[in-house]
Amino acid sequence: MNKIGLIISREYLTRVKKKTFIIMTILAPLLLAALIVVPVLISSETQKSMKVMVVDDNEFFINRFSDNTKTTFAYRTGDIEVIKKEALDNGYDAVLHILKGTQAIQSNLYYKDEPSMTFNSNIESQMDKLLFDKLLIDTFKIDPVKYDQLKSLTRSSIANIKIDETGQEKETQAEIARVVGMFSGLAIYFFIFMFASQVLRGVLEEKTNRIVEVLISSVKPMELMMGKIIGIAMVGLTQFLIWVGLTFVIIYGVQIAVPDIFQSQAVMQQMAGPEASMVSQTQITNINAAEMPSVSVFTLIDHYFNVSFTVLLLSFLFYFIFGYLIYAALFAAVGSAVDNETDSQQFTLPVTIPLLLTIMLLVPITENPNGPLAFWMSMIPLTSPVAMLIRLPSGVPLVELLSSMAICVLFFVFCVWFAAKIYRVGILMYGKKVTYRELFKWLRY
Amino acid sequence: MKIVEVQNVTKKYANHLALDSISLSVEKGSVFGLLGPNGAGKTTLIRILNQITAPDSGVVLFQGRPIQKDDVEKIGYLPEERGLYKKMKVGEQALYLAQLKGLSKQVAMERLVSWFRKFEIESWWNRKVEELSKGMQQKVQFVTTIIHEPDFLILDEPFSGFDPINTNILKEEIINLRKKGTTIILSTHDMASVEEICDDIVLINKAKKVLEGNLVALKQQFKNHQFEIVIESDSDPKTYFQNSDQFSLIDVIQKNNQYHLSVQLHEQISSNQLLQNILPFGNLVTFKEILPNMNEIFIKQVNDTK
Repeated sequence: MNKIGLIISREYLTRVKKKTFIIMTILAPLLLAALIVVPVLISSETQKSMKVMVVDDNEFFINRFSDNTKTTFAYRTGDIEVIKKEALDNGYDAVLHILKGTQAIQSNLYYKDEPSMTFNSNIESQMDKLLFDKLLIDTFKIDPVKYDQLKSLTRSSIANIKIDETGQEKETQAEIARVVGMFSGLAIYFFIFMFASQVLRGVLEEKTNRIVEVLISSVKPMELMMGKIIGIAMVGLTQFLIWVGLTFVIIYGVQIAVPDIFQSQAVMQQMAGPEASMVSQTQITNINAAEMPSVSVFTLIDHYFNVSFTVLLLSFLFYFIFGYLIYAALFAAVGSAVDNETDSQQFTLPVTIPLLLTIMLLVPITENPNGPLAFWMSMIPLTSPVAMLIRLPSGVPLVELLSSMAICVLFFVFCVWFAAKIYRVGILMYGKKVTYRELFKWLRY
Repeated sequence: MKIVEVQNVTKKYANHLALDSISLSVEKGSVFGLLGPNGAGKTTLIRILNQITAPDSGVVLFQGRPIQKDDVEKIGYLPEERGLYKKMKVGEQALYLAQLKGLSKQVAMERLVSWFRKFEIESWWNRKVEELSKGMQQKVQFVTTIIHEPDFLILDEPFSGFDPINTNILKEEIINLRKKGTTIILSTHDMASVEEICDDIVLINKAKKVLEGNLVALKQQFKNHQFEIVIESDSDPKTYFQNSDQFSLIDVIQKNNQYHLSVQLHEQISSNQLLQNILPFGNLVTFKEILPNMNEIFIKQVNDTK
């Protein structure tokens, strides 16, 4: 075996054989699957509708709230204190007390168990609409029956249809694309950090152990550095692939065991998350209407995104590998330059700021995945691994994707050159606090 | 035959000259002492020999031709700043380091087993390094340094951290290796061990070579023509030798009827003449030339180049 191979296999095996690695590798997909499955289970549990007793002091809303699968309404008048007690004791989940008022109406909601996050917004929007209708009817003296007829005629809905470069049309689900984008962006951020920091610690370990001088009398510093970076990359890939595999197995397993669980609505709401479901109530009902009886999570991605699941997964792998490689090289340089982990922070901070910035700008990027901010951040190599992954599910022109990847590869080559220069000097410097000026000098040694 | 020749090697760091046109050669099969105060440039020179750093100018010849990358497999290096992976098992680690020096897994395994037996550390094979005492770790480290049977061995402060017993084991090993034909560079501040095992030395101070040569010859070269004499007599040597123009007394100590004299011989006078002069004085017990030790030579040379 050649020497770099030896180094890679040592770096790989010592990490893979660690107990923490084995535990993490098995536990994480379980947690991840639980993260997807448990809320679905819970929400299907709470799908049993909320029974709400409405006490309206204005007597305007009586019999006007519309029931849906989640909420049913009943109405009473009288003393709130009495009704509140009776209703809650007799199987009602909440009591809505609407106080006297004309336009800005104040209400109190009494309950024993916290209602879902969408509950309040649902009632508020119903009340707003009802009040607005009342205002319209009163102001313009419209016949209420006619008004309702007219209203039922004007229910519009938008289906998002994306036309790609070849002119093919595809119905998309922007919300879900955004959430998946956010999720993969965060995941890649987490992966890059986790494994690049392992490189830093590994380099630092060799330096503080003083084994590094023994090693570089046998191999070139470059071989040692690259061996470590590649070895840890393979640890990351192993872990990632096991995670993906296990997560699939678990989700499929659950799907087989409980076939109803991934009924489209539940999945959609789950994937879209609470805040998305608030803004996109209509869109979710849309999908319901648009024929989706029961569909697995994965075909769903293929069906509704602007990229195929394969492209998404491959891009994820690409940006994970190169994002990691870039940061690993930079972190290796930092690890070689300092004497302990505390000192390393002043040097890791400037290189991690771009990555942190991308995470901080997650929402603006998600909201406008093809805007200039998203575009530039997905081109700049320090931010592109995260930014591009956020954009990708919303559809990115192939040219942009490929140029971003090319820039990433070029920057990686530069980083390795740069890191190697620092590294070969740094690993032999002991007991010296390094400054930026000093680092700059090392480049010219 | 020279195994290593360093020719006019200069190495400069940003604003500090580490080696200033150093030349030296190491005879095959010898133990070569590389001496010098802290910061003289020894470590830089050793790193250049190990191809860890490259000289700015000058060449290093190994076995008669310019040193090349593969030569690391013929060189063993025990750095002053040394260590092992603490969390790794001893055997696994030794195997890894041996393979990095180009040994196949089988050969490495066979040799390691026999060395571990020799040093009585076989039982440590599956223990983690961090569980070992410092002396044990040093032994493991030494084994990994010589496991590939290098032609040329560089030991930087090899005795630091060893207790006297282990120091002796190590010295014996060095002498054994030398007998088998290994050339050894020994860099140390322990002058006693230099005198014990080195054939030739070079002394570096402030990036420059200040002294080199055979240890015995150097001692001769630096001798001050001083003699230690023990003699039994009833008379006082100070008055007896008062008028001697061949030597002068540096020190006189009387113990019972024995006088311990330190004598400085004047130029052009032989030790035989001195002997003839003192024999009539009394009954001679000891007559010995005082040779400078390496410590004195070291200090003198370093101070002279200040």
